[in-house]
Amino acid sequence: MTVRFCSNRLRRTCLRAWPLVLAIGLWSCAQGVPQELVEALDRLDHELVAHRAAEFTPDEYAQFVKRWITLRGRLQSEEDLIRWPWEPNHFETELRQLREEGVAIASEVARRRDLQRATAEDKLARVEQRLLTLNQKISEIDGRLVLGNKLLETDLLVKQARTFLAEGQFDRSLRMSDLAGKLLLAQSTVLTAELGRYADEARIEAWKIMAKRTIDWTKTHGTTGIVIGKAERTLTLYKHGRKVLTYPVRLGYNGIREKRYQGDGATPEGEYRILRKRGAGQTQFYRALVLNYPNAHDRRRFQEARKAGRIPGERGIGGQIEIHGVENELMAQTLGCVMLDNQQMAKLFDLVEVGTPVTIVGALNSHNSVALALANLGELEEET
Amino acid sequence: MKHRGLTTGAALAFLLLAACAKAPTEQIDAAEKAVKDAQQSGAQTYIPQDYAKLEGLLSNVKKEVEDQNAKFALLRDYGKAEQLAASVKAEAERVKGDAEKKKEEAKNAALQAQQAAQESVKTTQELVAKAPAGKDRAALEAIKTDVEGLKASLNQVQMAIDKGDYLTAQTNAKAIQDKSQTVANEIQQALSKVSAAKGKTHPKKGK
Repeated sequence: MTVRFCSNRLRRTCLRAWPLVLAIGLWSCAQGVPQELVEALDRLDHELVAHRAAEFTPDEYAQFVKRWITLRGRLQSEEDLIRWPWEPNHFETELRQLREEGVAIASEVARRRDLQRATAEDKLARVEQRLLTLNQKISEIDGRLVLGNKLLETDLLVKQARTFLAEGQFDRSLRMSDLAGKLLLAQSTVLTAELGRYADEARIEAWKIMAKRTIDWTKTHGTTGIVIGKAERTLTLYKHGRKVLTYPVRLGYNGIREKRYQGDGATPEGEYRILRKRGAGQTQFYRALVLNYPNAHDRRRFQEARKAGRIPGERGIGGQIEIHGVENELMAQTLGCVMLDNQQMAKLFDLVEVGTPVTIVGALNSHNSVALALANLGELEEET
Repeated sequence: MKHRGLTTGAALAFLLLAACAKAPTEQIDAAEKAVKDAQQSGAQTYIPQDYAKLEGLLSNVKKEVEDQNAKFALLRDYGKAEQLAASVKAEAERVKGDAEKKKEEAKNAALQAQQAAQESVKTTQELVAKAPAGKDRAALEAIKTDVEGLKASLNQVQMAIDKGDYLTAQTNAKAIQDKSQTVANEIQQALSKVSAAKGKTHPKKGK
């Protein structure tokens, strides 16, 4: 019917055009690689780059990149290739497989990244908590100086770990937290070595004997005697074997340690006597009771330490250890003394004489503050 | 007969030529060296993704050579391998340039952070000289120890810079600056307290 209405001219045109129509038809049926698939792979590659796939899944990402580079190369060389609709398109299949692999890698990257972030956060939080606890404990016992720079070094590492965590550099954050954790452990070891005697039953027993000797002496001689406990920072005055008063005291700036040499800020432990009483105008510290430090025992111990190389440089044994008030605000001389408030100092000053025994001990019971702090630090070590 | 001889000769010549096809060792070596150079320039640290791609490209070249090596000698064609090796070399040079730029940026950032930390520590040191000992000599000694520690830590920043570890140097310098400011604030607070106490004790001196 259609032919009937066509003019001869139209019929000729139709006949001439059919090869063109066929070519267009075949061209549209010929298989190329879908552009959206290539674009999807490109996006995926960028996504993997953005999520640091090279860092989190290095092998898988390297494999992906290798294949993607190969396929891209083929993409260019096969651009002009025409496949018939009935021909299988292996190239497209490979691209689709690669996309699936890429998606799997992206998911694995996200999983590992989340896991590493969580691990880094957790590790850092634990280290921060341990550092906080250590700070609290050593502040309680005035032991900060025992650790020297170690606390600061730990603090700096923790700050670095925090910065790396914020920047998404979890591996570096973990490394810093690890280092900080190791430093914390080392500090616990230092504290135990330096202050372990406060938890040493034998040592505490020896201190108890020293204190008892002083108390007994006051009973025997019907006079006064002083016992100072460094861990609890108390001064107790005894008379006729009985407790008369107990005052809180401050020690040298490094008082918790055992005195070793001049200027170490430590308060000595031992049995001493009041050598001189310095009243108003004779001391810059309101009132002062000068002790006979160093005694023979201190000198012997100092010589032994010097021989063993434990005394730095040309340091001497020190001296001028006093029990004094707080008149001088600068406290320039408080390098190992025992300090009381002026009111209490005035009372004590009037109650004691030259020759009064003064015994300075670490602690008189095993539950002293230093021993308890060390025990808490031990718990922290176990957590690590 | 003559025609047959010519054909045989041509075939033999072709076979000889084909048998002579060799892997582009020099180009591959050059590509490998360029990749190594890129790595040494810090590409792995500063642009790890680009570096990973570069390694992918290099292994592709090697794979291509292996594929050709696996073929019958007369059918080997190393043209593509040669082309790939050349593109790896070019890409490695680009990556190296980019890594150097990134590294330079990181270096500048580290140097800036180092300078800021140095200034902060210096200011804190000056404050320590004015710090009141008050009743808490232990606290003052602890602050002094901290400031000495901060000074020592500045050396670690320099060491990290010398080693080319600019990321660590930068974060370390920032941590030092941060801590130094905390210490300075502690001293400032103590100074304010002392000023206030002096004002109360000696009100006339204020006039």
